[in-house]
Amino acid sequence: MIYLDNAATSWPKPAGVAEAVVRALREPLGNPGRTHHRAALDAASMVAACREDLAELFHAPNPLRICFTANTTDALHLAIKGALRPGDHAICSAMEHNSVWRPLKALAEMGVELSVAEAGQTGFVHPENVRRLLRPNTRLVVMQHASNVTGTIQAIQEIGAIVRAHGALFLVDAAQSAGSLPIDVVSMSIDLLAFPGHKGLLGPQGTGGLYVGEGVELQLVREGGTGSESLNAEQPSFYPDRLESGTLNVPGIAGLDASVTYLLARGVSSVRKHETGLTVQLLRGLARIPGVTLYGPAVDTPRAAVVSFNLEGWECTALAEELERRAGIASRPGIHCAGLAHRTLGTAAIGTVRLSPGPFTSPEEIETALAVVEAIAREPRDLCPR
Amino acid sequence: MSWQLVVFASLNQAALVKRGLTREGIEVEMQRTPQSLSFTGCSFALRCRQEDVPRVAARCEELSIRPGGVFAETEAERNSQKRAFDVSELEQ
Ligand SMILES: Cc1ncc(COP(=O)(O)O)c(C=O)c1O
Repeated sequence: MIYLDNAATSWPKPAGVAEAVVRALREPLGNPGRTHHRAALDAASMVAACREDLAELFHAPNPLRICFTANTTDALHLAIKGALRPGDHAICSAMEHNSVWRPLKALAEMGVELSVAEAGQTGFVHPENVRRLLRPNTRLVVMQHASNVTGTIQAIQEIGAIVRAHGALFLVDAAQSAGSLPIDVVSMSIDLLAFPGHKGLLGPQGTGGLYVGEGVELQLVREGGTGSESLNAEQPSFYPDRLESGTLNVPGIAGLDASVTYLLARGVSSVRKHETGLTVQLLRGLARIPGVTLYGPAVDTPRAAVVSFNLEGWECTALAEELERRAGIASRPGIHCAGLAHRTLGTAAIGTVRLSPGPFTSPEEIETALAVVEAIAREPRDLCPR
Repeated sequence: MSWQLVVFASLNQAALVKRGLTREGIEVEMQRTPQSLSFTGCSFALRCRQEDVPRVAARCEELSIRPGGVFAETEAERNSQKRAFDVSELEQ
């Protein structure tokens, strides 16, 4: 298989990740925070180590402000529904994933005012488009760091400064950037960072997290057992317990700890360099193939390792099937859970085929993928299914 | 040797404080807070040497944590099955 679907979930995982998950299941590892036998304390130590590693990766000053969640969607949900009340105003970009767009639309039904910052043809949102939407009651600005459709990287640092100066909260959806692009929650003025463990952080599915900046107050969307202040009917006020009710995904976090340890040793900049090389190779190669339409930023503009395209005469779904049939290429066709972004790009009716290389993809695999697309493109059209 | 028990509201806090201290070469033992000292229900504690309490306090400050209290292990109970502690001041 040539796995080019790292934007959905990364594969392969670094050496040691699967082993860490298996170890967590095979050896006694208890429920962290619930009791004090050795197995539970070992689990708590491992979870604490993972929090520290994530804090280091995102330059978060306090590891206790990293809360584990099931995925990015879960983290975005806690942040969006925790930050907004009826009468508040929220801004998001016209490129958002449904994990941002749907909760915001649901809140708009309940009296939250919502504005959408326009994006250009490449998916880029000019920071001025955010600034001009700010209102006195703007409480939250949500922005994806990088697009899961076009790889477009937003001007997070500039937008963060604008939002901070206005006194609103800045929530960044790092689904396509955590582990692949540098993130510094302090210099980027990020109050809330939602991230997956299973994409660029190279950990298992079912992992993710939310960084909550010091002093940020969120209403609760979930209360429950935390193993702390158990005589108190109210949810603890301190983090991460405030947001982490119920048993954590300890085997998943064990795998995530192994993958983040790998990333810290390899360095995000090394991953970035590798993925940029592959992305440019892919973009240049596709641009040379007759009938290919590429979406998103120009070849020489920095983008995340996400490439969307269409081939004349082919439905995106049929083309993705053909890529898999001919060379075992795993891609993702369709709307990518991002109807808003596809409407912005003018591709809502047709979708796109998305290829997303990862830290372990090789240039040879990209060459093979390009050769297959080219072979399909050069075949007489009546051989094409549909 | 004189021992102190620093009590935390949660195991998350105790575990992170312990990691930092271990890196500094300070030995602490993570344990459940005796029920008699767990004023808010379940809680966890670090048992450390008397002279290390200021380092524990410094690490707490780094993580913006206020421990629930610091208790000194009483002489009489040290070797008995039941551990008992007196309330002492948190050295800042
Ligand atoms: C930009 C973006 N945001 C959010 C998500 C949701 O991520 P998760 O599947 O971890 O909930 C995705 C997933 O593809 C994404 O690409």
